[in-house]
Amino acid sequence: MIPIRCVSCGKPVSAYFDEYNQRLEDGEKSKDILEDMGFKRYCCRRMLISHVETWK
Amino acid sequence: MFNMEIEVKSQNDDELVLIIRDAEIPFVNAIRRSAMMSVPKIAIEDVNIIRNDSSMFNEVLAHRLGLTPLVSSLKHVEGMALADECDCNDFCPKCGVAFSLNAVGPKEVYSKDLISSDSKIKPVYDTIPLVKLKEGEELKIEAVAKLGLGKDHAKWMPTTVCAYKQYPEITFNENVEIDYDCADACPRGILKGDRRSKKIKILDIEDCSMCKSCVRASVNNYINVGYQENNFIFKIETDGSMTPKEVLLKACDELGEKSDKFIKFSEGGNK
Repeated sequence: MIPIRCVSCGKPVSAYFDEYNQRLEDGEKSKDILEDMGFKRYCCRRMLISHVETWK
Repeated sequence: MFNMEIEVKSQNDDELVLIIRDAEIPFVNAIRRSAMMSVPKIAIEDVNIIRNDSSMFNEVLAHRLGLTPLVSSLKHVEGMALADECDCNDFCPKCGVAFSLNAVGPKEVYSKDLISSDSKIKPVYDTIPLVKLKEGEELKIEAVAKLGLGKDHAKWMPTTVCAYKQYPEITFNENVEIDYDCADACPRGILKGDRRSKKIKILDIEDCSMCKSCVRASVNNYINVGYQENNFIFKIETDGSMTPKEVLLKACDELGEKSDKFIKFSEGGNK
């Protein structure tokens, strides 16, 4: 499961995780989604980009 | 310091950027620390796990619940007592808000499934995934959210980013030949070389991170990046539980209260 908050800065990134995945599936570019959702710092961006869901 | 000027650069629901002029580092830093450490906020503190069939450990689940941001704007929190200052034994309506979480699998449990005993105090986001349940698995939890301070645990910190930087200042050495390469080196695209007017334009100096990439790219020391000693760009970003304005107001109140204690003490009024 994705951590609730960004490990470095504490922004609640998990709240956007489902939306991010959905939009990624719909063919949007990762960069555009992150920019649109307001993730400016690379600490929060890596939380979403690099997360691998192992619990299916 | 007394001629301090403050200007709001940008403001929205969870971010506030201020430009503070003619202040001093210790003062700005005191406000920063106060905002992070002394502003009370509500977060889940005690978790009673009655049944947890999921493959997530109880401790991990409790930690996730704790980190879930809860709405705790000043008008909702007003009148509530800090957990360790309340005179009750365990918790009472004055210092705690009860939550319950009941779910049966197969299901992905979200923060919206947390049912609060107080309609005003609820998770900020409904879409935070907490745990997954398989067929036949059951989850039964009672939790108590309490008021706390950031100095005790990060879950009680209302701010995520709360930081200041000194106002950047870019100067050019007019005695040497203009160096357009330094403009291209800027990772944030603040500098723009204009060959027609033979100048380098600064687009948005407040966005400068003072990384000095441009200084390193310039061979003849054409450009120099410094900062203004007493001007600051102060940024407060919250996790959504309070607005940054409230955080700043409360932080200043707390700082003022502490200073008052000092004044009282030095006047011999109180022990």
